Amino acid sequence: MEFSWEHFFRFLFGEYMLTGVWTTLWLACVAMLLGCTLGVVVAFMKMSRYWAPRQFANLFIWVWRGTPLLVQMVIIYTVLPLFGLKLGVISSAILALSLHEAAYFAEIVRSGILSVNKGQTDASLALGMTWPQRMRYVILPQATRIIIPPLGNQFTLMIKTTSIASVISMEELFRRTQQLAQFEFRVLEAYLGAACWYLLMTTVWGEIQKRLEAHYDRPFGPLSDDDGKKPERPVTGDAAAQV
Amino acid sequence: MTMDSMTDTDLPPMAGKPRDLGPPIVVIQNVQKAFGSNHVLRDVSLTVRTGEVVVIAGRSGSGKSTLLRCIDHLETIDGGSITACGNLMGYRRDTGGKLIPLGDGKVARQRREMGMVFQSFNLFPHLSVLKNITLSPVKIMGESPAKAEAHARELLARVGLPDKADAYPAQLSGGQQQRVAIARALAMRPKVMLFDEPTSALDPEMISEVLDVMTDLSRQGMTMIVVTHEMGFARAAADRVLLMHGGEIVEEAPPEEFFTNPKSEHTRLFLSKIL
Ligand SMILES: Nc1ncnc2c1ncn2[C@@H]1O[C@H](COP(=O)(O)OP(=O)(O)OP(=O)(O)O)[C@@H](O)[C@H]1O
Ligand SMILES: [Mg+2]
Repeated sequence: MEFSWEHFFRFLFGEYMLTGVWTTLWLACVAMLLGCTLGVVVAFMKMSRYWAPRQFANLFIWVWRGTPLLVQMVIIYTVLPLFGLKLGVISSAILALSLHEAAYFAEIVRSGILSVNKGQTDASLALGMTWPQRMRYVILPQATRIIIPPLGNQFTLMIKTTSIASVISMEELFRRTQQLAQFEFRVLEAYLGAACWYLLMTTVWGEIQKRLEAHYDRPFGPLSDDDGKKPERPVTGDAAAQV
Repeated sequence: MTMDSMTDTDLPPMAGKPRDLGPPIVVIQNVQKAFGSNHVLRDVSLTVRTGEVVVIAGRSGSGKSTLLRCIDHLETIDGGSITACGNLMGYRRDTGGKLIPLGDGKVARQRREMGMVFQSFNLFPHLSVLKNITLSPVKIMGESPAKAEAHARELLARVGLPDKADAYPAQLSGGQQQRVAIARALAMRPKVMLFDEPTSALDPEMISEVLDVMTDLSRQGMTMIVVTHEMGFARAAADRVLLMHGGEIVEEAPPEEFFTNPKSEHTRLFLSKIL
């Protein structure tokens, strides 16, 4: 069968596929938002000085990073109901994706926080700050710039990973593409269309990420003085380690 | 690098004319500290009086930084006790006299009475000089931003950096960063200032600008405990000079006596190397 441009474009801009694109997009955003929030909580649990939260975090990360998302998704959708917890397709997909994301993001947040110079903790302690004050005013603002690049990569992964929700029949881009291919026996046209949409989403996000990183990656403080020149003073000591 | 850096400061040595000192403000009693099997502080006792300037010298690894960090409770102690500004640092006593560790918030409150300056400056790189100085007064002490800013500018003038309020730490030289760090500590209106080798990370030409600020501070009656190898500063500003060796204070004398007539073998050896 010859490649049909006509089918390709009809699929690409057809309402059926566009709705799938939209579903993929919001699914990725919602799962990312929930996953990152939960990931921060797990990260702090893992850094707790108490045994119980630390072990809980370890267990959580171990399980969710050590099993395939595909398996997690199916278990949440089909096995949990046996224990009386019946979740719909959408809730199951969101839950599985965000728990999975949380496990990865927890480690990203933790390493970002640990990478902030130990002297910053000393200085904030000596200034009489409590733990929440140290985190809020000193540590997290500096950890953010380390966390942003891997966070961006996670979102790119997330856009693609949503396709796994098709196994529990979530009508996102991948599943809709499968259906188009089956209805019209146009496999290549359909999947090529899907690939274009995935590529567009990841590319646009890649551009946004680049800008975000540039914003957060510049040395702290204004890049240049008023005259547009770089500061002529040498960067020394602690600042050298930070910049 | 030790005496030379003070030559452009024509301050007369203070030795020989003891100043009026107030009541004890830091009392260290039989403090023990070990890192694993490394016994770093061995039964250290020291009383510092209000307005006094104590310089601590000693070779690398003798426990100087650890002692200073214990005073601010940046390290826990394994024995003895430290009282600073009326607080039993890091602990409270139960009815039987046993030491019970305090929670994070309580220790934080105790630390607000003291300022500490580090070898590596440790300015907050994401904040401007002004914000570095006003952060704690405003966010932690609840001072009004306007009042805190006025105080910060006053302090910046005092450390000789009136025009650097809007600069970021990375735009400053080491000496300037350290002076900002001193201003930041002073913004909390501390009763005691702790300095841990404040000039060791600096290029030689920047050492005196920091020492001058510290000497000024001592003249204004600030209680200071200073770990340093700048013996010129010790001569000019110290009331007492201590030598630490192997986790113990092995010499303790007014500067004059410390330099001319040391009692300890270790001091003689130390002086022969550094002078
Ligand atoms: N956090 C720590 N963990 C383990 N050992 C430590 C720690 N801090 C210091 N030590 C050890 O304690 C000993 C004393 O260290 P300290 O930093 O107090 O010495 P110092 O007199 O300040 O030396 P220097 O002049 O090099 O700064 C050293 O043997 C050091 O290795
Ligand atoms: Mg030291």
